Amino acid sequence: METFLKNPKGAHEAVRDLLKGLLENKLADAVLVAARTPYSQLPMPMLIADGQHLEKAVPLLPVAPFNAARQAEALLRQDAGRKLALVLRPCEIRALVELVKLNQCSLDQALVIGLECYGRMENHDFLDKYASGEGEPAASRIDEQLLCTACRTCTRCVPETADLTLATFAGGLEKGIWLQAKTEAGEQVCKDLELGHKDMDPGHRQAVEELKAGRGQADRELVEAMARAMASMEDFQKIIADCINCYNCRRACPVCYCKTCVFVTDVFQHPPEMIFRRAEKRGAVKLPTDTTMYHLTRLAHISHACVGCGHCTSVCPAGIPVADFFKTVARKTQELFDYIPGRDLDEPIPLLVFDENEK
Amino acid sequence: MEASFEPKIIALVCNWCTYTAADLAGTSRLKYPANVRLVRLMCTGMIDVKYVIKALLDGADGVFIGGCHPGDCHYINGNLKARKRIQGVGSILESFGFEPQRLALRWIGASEGPEFAHHMTEFVNTIMQLGPNPSKARMIL
Repeated sequence: METFLKNPKGAHEAVRDLLKGLLENKLADAVLVAARTPYSQLPMPMLIADGQHLEKAVPLLPVAPFNAARQAEALLRQDAGRKLALVLRPCEIRALVELVKLNQCSLDQALVIGLECYGRMENHDFLDKYASGEGEPAASRIDEQLLCTACRTCTRCVPETADLTLATFAGGLEKGIWLQAKTEAGEQVCKDLELGHKDMDPGHRQAVEELKAGRGQADRELVEAMARAMASMEDFQKIIADCINCYNCRRACPVCYCKTCVFVTDVFQHPPEMIFRRAEKRGAVKLPTDTTMYHLTRLAHISHACVGCGHCTSVCPAGIPVADFFKTVARKTQELFDYIPGRDLDEPIPLLVFDENEK
Repeated sequence: MEASFEPKIIALVCNWCTYTAADLAGTSRLKYPANVRLVRLMCTGMIDVKYVIKALLDGADGVFIGGCHPGDCHYINGNLKARKRIQGVGSILESFGFEPQRLALRWIGASEGPEFAHHMTEFVNTIMQLGPNPSKARMIL
């Protein structure tokens, strides 16, 4: 089912109406949505239980300081006896699906509202440009060059497994926003809220295809260039040369889910003698050690599940294009295992299934 | 240089099969190259990809993994887990210019002493042809 949520103040207000309706009709006890705190223009994931606070919700802004799948997981890892509606970007939903498959949380109490996503800017770019809150781009499309690399090259910008989709690509955002029900739970919500059906804007499909085509081209160019740039271990050393082993990329990664990463355990707190020995063997050793080891291990552990959100690059203080080499390697790993992360809750994670007769 | 190249091979082998096969090869006085350093594990299923990456970054010229034939694993399916992981890490290392032949996974049962000696000889020959691991010659961060 499709409908147009009308509001003369525009798309954001229409989304707030929808979320308010969910809370008032007890279809959800709380909403997880990007909203502003009173102190900054940068929205943060916010759990809103009282509809009055929805006025600060701005899920359509082209900025996101986190992949909110981790915040969603924190709310869904045990049954809290409450129903939660979540407004998430496609990459966040994909990561959440992976976390569900990894038994980190469950969607039993969740209503997932996905949004068609034009992409996000880096936090500092957004704040520099819109510090005063004036001229804010809201949901309308902004220049692709302003977006972060991951979003500029993202072809999975339409939610694949959401209950409801906010179809921003269908346009008409100054007068409201299109809503699509994609599952039975989504249909039921539309019925309960008595949203009447309206045929989808006929230009929607074409808008989606055009955006995907442009991004697909940018994506292929990026992956090809990156594959060439890291074709040998020596080349890769140049790419990660400024890494300071802060492990921010691991913290920002929504699918790097281990409670304790091996790289902060005793395994990598080498006894001094071992570090001296390494230096003596090779003549010199860079400290902290194991930088290459860290990046390669992360690739080997989770590149099959990389959802391409790009937050690893965004948090890197050294400006290393982590997401670019991740995407390039992940492409191959995902092809090898014939796996597309976040596409389907019932699609098993390749490393967890094995059969005697496979190759 | 080329003529005197003596590869260093790390072999991660399963206690129940390949290691026992190595024992058998020894007691049967079979010969195989001395380039191989065996590391005995309880099962190939406990091999984390880190072990392979570490060995190659630290200058091993090749990594050999020996496990039980499919269906024979002492822990039911550890070898099948290893097969998936090794496939994955092999593909990743290839992206960074490591020749895929530097990483080998073979099934060698406990009674297959001669096969063990054969596989070791074959793998060492392969590595001899490939030459030294290029990451040995440069600083790895």
